[in-house]
Order: sequence, then C-alpha cells, then structure tokens
Amino acid sequence: MISISPNALATGSDPSFAKKLDLNNLKPEQVALDINNLNLSYGEKQALNDISMSIPKGQVTAFIGPSGCGKSTLLRCINRMNDLVDNCHITGEVNLHGNNIYNKHVDVADLRRKVGMVFQRPNPFPKTIYENVVYGLRIMGENNRRKLDEAVEKSLRSAALWNEVKDRLYESALGLSGGQQQRLVIARAIAIQPEVLLLDEPTSALDPISTLTIEELINDLKKQFTVVIVTHNMQQAARVSDQTAFMYMGSLIEYSDTNTLFTRPSKQKTEDYITGRYG
Amino acid sequence: MDNLHIGRHISGQFNEDLERVINNVMHMGGLVEKQLTDALAAVGQSDADLARQVLSNDYQVNAYEVSIDDECTRVIAKRQPAAGDLRLIMAVVKTIADLERIGDDAEKIARVALEIFSSSQKDLLENLDNLGRRVLEFLQASLDAFTRMDYESAIKIHQMDDKINREYEALMRQLMTYMMEDPRSIPQVMTVIWSARALERIGDRCQNICEYIIYFVKGKDVRHTTAEDISKLQTM
Repeated sequence: MISISPNALATGSDPSFAKKLDLNNLKPEQVALDINNLNLSYGEKQALNDISMSIPKGQVTAFIGPSGCGKSTLLRCINRMNDLVDNCHITGEVNLHGNNIYNKHVDVADLRRKVGMVFQRPNPFPKTIYENVVYGLRIMGENNRRKLDEAVEKSLRSAALWNEVKDRLYESALGLSGGQQQRLVIARAIAIQPEVLLLDEPTSALDPISTLTIEELINDLKKQFTVVIVTHNMQQAARVSDQTAFMYMGSLIEYSDTNTLFTRPSKQKTEDYITGRYG
Repeated sequence: MDNLHIGRHISGQFNEDLERVINNVMHMGGLVEKQLTDALAAVGQSDADLARQVLSNDYQVNAYEVSIDDECTRVIAKRQPAAGDLRLIMAVVKTIADLERIGDDAEKIARVALEIFSSSQKDLLENLDNLGRRVLEFLQASLDAFTRMDYESAIKIHQMDDKINREYEALMRQLMTYMMEDPRSIPQVMTVIWSARALERIGDRCQNICEYIIYFVKGKDVRHTTAEDISKLQTM
C-alpha cells in the first residue's frame, strides 16, 4: 500500500510515488557525472556560462532549451567532442566517476569508449548489420567469433532490434529503415558497454512510431547506462527523462526532477519556454 | 485576466482556446450566481414563478459544465499544456464541477419557495435569508477572485466559510427549538433545514474554488490543510 505522509499533504509538496532524488545533495555513489563551473567559448563567443550540475547514475537526464542555448555544446563536452572544434576554449571540470575528463593525462579514445554518443541522423557504416555492431569491439582487438556473436545478439536485443534483423545480420545496414538504423546505431554504441550514453536529438529525423520505439528503448537503457539526452521536443523530455535541465543563452536556468519542472517550474523563464510563450 | 498571461503563447490558437475556456467559466459563474440570487429572492418574496424559473434554468448550468469539460479535454489532447497552463486547466475542470453543484443547491433552495408557509412561520425564512446573503457574498467574492486569479483575496475570503459554518450552526439550534416548541411546524422546519444545509454546502464549494485559485497561482495544493498553513502562503 502506498502511504502519503501527512507532512507531504500539509506542505502541499509533491506526493509523487516515484522516489525523488535531491539533485543538490546526491551521494557520491549516486553521481555519474559532476560538472563544475564549466565555461566554454568559441573564439570570442561565450557558449556556456559557468555550468554546474550533477547527473545521477542510472537515470535519464534531458537538456532542453531554444536553439543556440548551448545544450548540444554541453552534451558534446561530456565526451570531449568539442576538442575537434577550432578556437574552442574550455575551463572548469567534467568529472566522470570522480575523475576530471579534461585532465591532460586522459586518453580521449578511452573516454569515448566509456561515454558513447548517438547523433541526430542515423549514421550506420556502409557494412553489414553485424559488422556495424561489432565495429567498436574489433577496434578494441576483440576477434573471438563467439564473443562477437554474443555481443551482437545482446546489443541488438537491448536496442529492441534483434527480432527485426536476426535473419539478415549479414545484409547491408543501409537497407534498414531510418528508425531501424537509429536503433542499430544505439546498438553499436552500447556494444562496447559504455558507462554513459549521450543522445543528441536521437529522434528528430524519425517518424512518430519509431520515435516511440526509441523512447521506450531509452527507458530500458537506463537500467544499464546513465543516459543524457538533448531534445527539441519538450513532450519527449517530459516522457522519457527523470531529470530535466533547462538552458537559455548558455546558462543553466533550472535543473530539477522532470515532474516538478513540467508542473511547477520555479523560474519564470522555464515556465515561459515550456508553455510556449515568448521568453 | 491579465495575470493569467494567456495571450503570450507563440501559438495564437492556444491563446484562443484558453481564452474561450476562461470566458465560458466566467459565463457559467455568472449564471450560477444569478440562479442563487433568484432562488434566495424567490424564497424571500414567496415568489413561486421565480422559483420555477430557477428550476427550469438549471439545465443551462449543466450544459456549460459539459461543454467546458469537453473543451478542456480537447486542450489537453491537442496542446499538451504544461506548468501554469496545465494547472489552469485542472483548476477549471474542478471549479466547474463545484459550480454545477452550486447550481443544484440553488435548485434545492428554490423548492422552498414552492412550499406553503403560514404567516407565523415566515420568520423562519428570514433567518434563512441572512445566511443566504452571506453565502451569496462568498460566491461573488470567489468568482471575482477566480476572474482575476487573485490568490491574495482567495486566501482572505477562504476564511469566510468559518463564519458561514458558525451561522449555520446557530440557525440549526434555533430551528431545533422551533420544532420542540411546536411539533406541528416540523414539516416546514425540515424544508428550511434542507435549504440551510444547501447554503452551507455552497460555502464549502466556494472555499474549494479559492483553493483551486491558490493551486493555479502558487502551485501549492492546499486542500485538507489548516487555515494557518494557508495564511502562511500570503508571506511567500
């Protein structure tokens, strides 16, 4: 039986039955990523202003905000994709399980193995479905056929794609539909067992049914990985995430659990954005 | 309606939808207020025609409830309102349910006017009239606060219900004495008791409306909390 504490009623606080994390006081073992005073500029242009937040382990965290607010930039900081951009200057820390990924001793290839990423448009390699999934494992030197077979089945099952492709594993991945290709890319990302999975608008190029399949998949994935998702679709953030961060002009305006943010946001800017008003 | 910020959505269609909902709630509130005023006047002046008019107009209140409910369902399905917009829709859905019941209570009160009272029993009705006036004031103040979504006055008038309850209890004691003194008056006194009860219930429903206003503006659910907790909100 679910009991609501009389106190929760008296204060009018959220008697939601899901266990809510206190994002400001997470225990170290609950934190996957700890971002401290992160600033980023492209040349003269400041793209991120002093971002500090803790992203909890085993949960889905969504970044929302208008175009150009810095949400994709922030996401790309988490696996150092911004290193590839000229003129990009970063200060502050991004700690993955307590280790700063911007430390100069960090091996970026190893970091990206731990922090996988999926982009807006599905980008399968022009190879077979099987080879796409094992690509990362082969690079890591894994050639044992049995292990690769196991990894393919496990990843494709986790990506909810196994039943659709199990009879055509050796056909080209380019023959799959857009939604299937995106799930294949997710399978490829999870085959190397990353700790964190970054999704940059993973459904914006997909039809509504594929979108729902991917959303369902995200919910399953959080059992194994910490998921961080950037989305333009606010309803999607409301549906799939446990925490939501609202960003505006390079600053983190509000970061709280999704239920609170979408029903009782504490900042006027957040309210204006999620209710579709001029900010 | 300004502090609702309805007109500021990027989607003009969404603005129109919400405006329509709010306007309909105001019309419904106005209609319910008129029903209660007429019911009380019918009782006060023993005007059977006016009472029958109240009875026959109740269907309009019901029709408003159905159509606003329908509108709200459509807004939820098509616009997926969030935050303040979502709380507004929730507050509206609950408010119109209470308004519809106030309409039913007004109907019950109007039925008293159809009863025959002897001239010696007329002062029974006078007491009812006092309670009725106070309840009508409460309803008007609640609807006014709802129109402006003014949570400060909602907090203030929320306490009016206590006064109404005290007056209702005093009236009950008086009516009880009446019955003991003159058992032949029991059928008439019972009628008065039923309508006093209806008035007391209207007070409770007005109090609910105040709570929905507070919920919409502050995002705090203050149902089933104490008066002290609610007045604390004023300082927040």
